[in-house]
Amino acid sequence: MIKILFILLFCVSCDNNDIKTYRVAKAPVSTKSVQPPTITDNELKWDLPKSWSASSGSSMRLASYNVPHSSGVGDLSIMILAGDGGGIEANINRWRGQINLGSQTLSEINNQSEDRKNSLANYQIFTVVNEDNLDKAFICAIIPLADSTIFVKLNISAKGITEIEDDFIYFCDSFRLGDG
Amino acid sequence: MILYISVIHLGWVMGKDRLKKILNTLSSPKIFICTIFWMMVLVVLGTLAQKDLGLYEAQQRYFSCWIAWLGFIPTPGGRTALFVMTFNLMFFMLKPAFWSFKKIGIIITHTGVLLLLLGGGITAWFSTEGNMVIKEGEISNVIIDLFAKELVIIDDGNSEYDQITTISDNILKPGSKIESDLVPFDIEVIDYHINCEPIRRLDVAGPEYKGLAQNFILKRIPNEKETEVNRTGITFKVTGAEDVANGIYSMFLAQQIPQKISSNGKEYTLALRRERTHLPFSLKLDDFKKVMHPGTDVAKSYSSDVVLIDKDLSRPVLIRMNEPLRYMNYTFYQSSFNEGVDVDTSIFAVVKNYGRLFPYISSLTISLGILVHMFLRFPIIFNRRRGK
Repeated sequence: MIKILFILLFCVSCDNNDIKTYRVAKAPVSTKSVQPPTITDNELKWDLPKSWSASSGSSMRLASYNVPHSSGVGDLSIMILAGDGGGIEANINRWRGQINLGSQTLSEINNQSEDRKNSLANYQIFTVVNEDNLDKAFICAIIPLADSTIFVKLNISAKGITEIEDDFIYFCDSFRLGDG
Repeated sequence: MILYISVIHLGWVMGKDRLKKILNTLSSPKIFICTIFWMMVLVVLGTLAQKDLGLYEAQQRYFSCWIAWLGFIPTPGGRTALFVMTFNLMFFMLKPAFWSFKKIGIIITHTGVLLLLLGGGITAWFSTEGNMVIKEGEISNVIIDLFAKELVIIDDGNSEYDQITTISDNILKPGSKIESDLVPFDIEVIDYHINCEPIRRLDVAGPEYKGLAQNFILKRIPNEKETEVNRTGITFKVTGAEDVANGIYSMFLAQQIPQKISSNGKEYTLALRRERTHLPFSLKLDDFKKVMHPGTDVAKSYSSDVVLIDKDLSRPVLIRMNEPLRYMNYTFYQSSFNEGVDVDTSIFAVVKNYGRLFPYISSLTISLGILVHMFLRFPIIFNRRRGK
């Protein structure tokens, strides 16, 4: 009986391929077939104000842009997150914390927002300024989609916001799918 | 054969009477009846559970397992029941009284049932299934598993090939440490979620968090009924890489931006993906055809013109619904398709099953056994009636 058990244990333990290594010939250079379609490539489009230029952002960003103004350069990031991406209240309060401002309730936050509409959805623009340090401010747009949310955030000074606000709104209004 | 040798050996060691007693217990038909009854219970429970859990999860919890948990009560799973049933049958067939020419029909029938059970075991242990997705004009030799995942570490430094190290999700359990000569650094799994959602951090992450983990945490969410749509996620700690790369990483299935880690002067790409099997041959999709029922959007049939390429040899093959391609133990079924603007994509369900012939052979054997038994029994019954 012990022999039978040993044989069975041996059979069961034979399947030990949890870590494997192998070589795969590189695929022919055809990025069209290798790269998965991305929202940037195929779906989301926007119009860029003339003075803005692309910049290198973090890996989580869909795109990053430098936004020049009279006293410096703002950093604009575009991110798309699944679902509500944590929600308006949590995100705005986290960003408020980054410029040394306390948290607000959702109704307080919404009271200071501007409702806009682009071809994707009705969305909100939030402008937040640290009145004690006017270099610390941001303007952002949160665009809810069916199963994800687009976050467009521009870190900039209070003075910068007054200068580029129209460009920012023009930029957010231009978000659309494909070439439509 | 092994069982027979073992039993003879045991009989020599233990004595004939004691062995007979043990064989009688192990071969008791009561065990067979109990396992049959328990399998019926499992079928009912599994079918009911399928409504909430989905097909795959119910199959795993009740049938493809050794222990089926009914709440907090451990009960024999489908594998245990079938294992017991197989051995019970084998021990039954070891009884000397079983082997008689008069019972040749019963012997053949029991052999057929045993073959059916063994075939099921081979299929359960050694079969694999997945999808091969090919666009028109492209070649593929990759099968993508529908359920199993793997953490891959890719060294793409060579201009001709990628060196790929895969870690199966069998060992990607929270707390497990992966220290292997095949892996260029050590990995300790912190969390592994079958289904998860990346949630933006509300706090500022410490410097030990790298990549996606800097800004996101992976939140476990309930598994989807359709297992294929789960977004699997993993959080793990890397040590033994370059100082700047050591830290905690998170990644999830189909993450568009792969994670890079530097170790020993090389840059590796890490990704969590569905398990892939590279075949020793390839298929090239020349054309995908779809025929619709007239005046409807319902597909009547679809087929793929492929070229089977094995080393220097190639031959054209037509794969149609219910007319699969069988090659080197793999079977390619026309499963689905995606229509594109310029090119279509054909999806083949690929199955590798060493036990695929067992159901046919065992069914024929069982049928033969019953026929032989009837042939031998009819004269006895006929004579008995005539005697009355």
